[in-house]
Amino acid sequence: MITSILSYLDRAVALYSDRTIYTDGNDEISFARLRAAAASVGTAIAEAEKAEHPVAVLTGRHVYTPACYLGIAMAGCFYAPMDPGVPDSRLRQILDVAKPETLIADMEHADKARELGYSGTLIIMEEALKTAADEDLLKERRAAITETTPLYILFTSGSTGKPKGVLTSHQAVICYLDGLQEVIGLDETDILGNQAPLDYIAAIRDMYLPLMTGAKTVMLHPNEFAMPKNLIGSLHDSGVTTLCWSATGLEIPARLGVFDDAEDMPALPPLRRVVFSGSVISNPLLRKWQNAFPDTVFINQYGPTEATGSCTYYVIDHTVQDDEIIPIGKPYRHYLIDLITEDGKYAEAGETGEICVRGPALALGYYDAPEQTAKNFVISPVHSHWKEPMYRTGDLGKTGENGELYFLGRKDRQFKHLGHRIEPEEIEQKASLLDGVEECVCTYNAARKAICLFYKGTATPKEISLFLRAELPSFMAPRKLTAMDELPRLPNGKLDRKKLEEMTQGK
Amino acid sequence: MEQLMELLEGIRPDIDFANEKSLVTDRLLESFDIINLVSEIDDEFDVKIKPADLVPENFDSVEAMWALIQRLQDEEF
Repeated sequence: MITSILSYLDRAVALYSDRTIYTDGNDEISFARLRAAAASVGTAIAEAEKAEHPVAVLTGRHVYTPACYLGIAMAGCFYAPMDPGVPDSRLRQILDVAKPETLIADMEHADKARELGYSGTLIIMEEALKTAADEDLLKERRAAITETTPLYILFTSGSTGKPKGVLTSHQAVICYLDGLQEVIGLDETDILGNQAPLDYIAAIRDMYLPLMTGAKTVMLHPNEFAMPKNLIGSLHDSGVTTLCWSATGLEIPARLGVFDDAEDMPALPPLRRVVFSGSVISNPLLRKWQNAFPDTVFINQYGPTEATGSCTYYVIDHTVQDDEIIPIGKPYRHYLIDLITEDGKYAEAGETGEICVRGPALALGYYDAPEQTAKNFVISPVHSHWKEPMYRTGDLGKTGENGELYFLGRKDRQFKHLGHRIEPEEIEQKASLLDGVEECVCTYNAARKAICLFYKGTATPKEISLFLRAELPSFMAPRKLTAMDELPRLPNGKLDRKKLEEMTQGK
Repeated sequence: MEQLMELLEGIRPDIDFANEKSLVTDRLLESFDIINLVSEIDDEFDVKIKPADLVPENFDSVEAMWALIQRLQDEEF
């Protein structure tokens, strides 16, 4: 029985050995070499850290980053990835949540770990890769890994102003990938074009589907997303057959017009399927992809990090029209979806309810945050005869007449921007730390993909922008800052959110 | 070029556009910045930046962007 992602690694090494699993533009690595690299890293970690403990990873976008992740798993530990590109204050918050006593960094980022004030054991990746693998030690660690052993902690925006660490088991990752694979049917002739940063949930597909299927993953250069002809050119040159991207990742090249000029169309990659998720895609931009790739299957996915990847999918079987709403579809295998109304009952067909998820693919909870975990991972009010956790997404949905699920927005103020989930409270809290910001409200214009901040205070928009760019990941920095003498209020003194919403949408 | 500088600072106030010469190559400008930039340049300077113009060499510095805008404006006539 497959109990961990490592079982897939072993099987893949036996089946595909010297074939390439990952390339990153500079380097490539075979299945066998990946296993060997992970065993070396795993030995170095196991010598430094007890099983079932977090290990932070501060490495760049290269083929050895997944080797670090798998090495940590081999040591029976779980990885907490840190993107060196995000501001230091955010990385410090991640360290503060995970409190790792062991951190692995590549040579390029080792100094950064210390600059962040990290004082625990620091393992240099390049040295760890030279460690002789201690197979006995790894075997011992392996014996204590079960399906529910945590594999990683990934961080998402938290409304308290601190990122939340979503702790996820081997089982959850395997279940998601198995459900996805059942729909997309990859094999060893497939090549995935990886868009997502490796510390981001979306990258689990690109890193681990090859272990299940023998496919190869090409890590695309992030610059290429700004330069769409280069992007399509690289996809073509690498023979990419499969994209599992954020909706925004698909929108960018289409919006920049790469498919618009039939006379000047770049050579197109042999895409078999395109899977997207993260936000509601723009229909006209999706149609540009569909027209450019008439034989490619397009699949819409929906799901939060807490449900590991995506929990529902919809295979789009026609060219989309501007005014239609694309369903989020049906649950993947291993997922159960309940729509629950405000009064705690199952929603009738067509009735709105909160989208709730059960099954073996749920995250284990938020790391070291029992209160937040208890709030979102609950016992279903309907299905309450035994203790089975259910994750409340905070998303609203309904079942359409066609039996498919539809996404209807949020219960709270959270929004999705460029595929990232953002709690406006986190941005407001940061902005209010700056002298000269007395009060502020963060809103979102989805059509223009602009985060807006209305504020009262003496700070200039530039000062606030500079401050927030130093404190938050760049995707969270507001683009439109509006100073006001007073924020609009209702007669009872509460903020007039409706008015702010109208101003945001430019009405 | 001042007009362009102002537009750039509006999009990314944290970047020293006067001195940075590898804005795209060093990933100072991200893909989403480029989308905003392209639509604002198109509007502001009445040009149409085409996908073929979207190469790092045209966006790595203010001077390169200015040269691109002028070239596109000349092509209009």
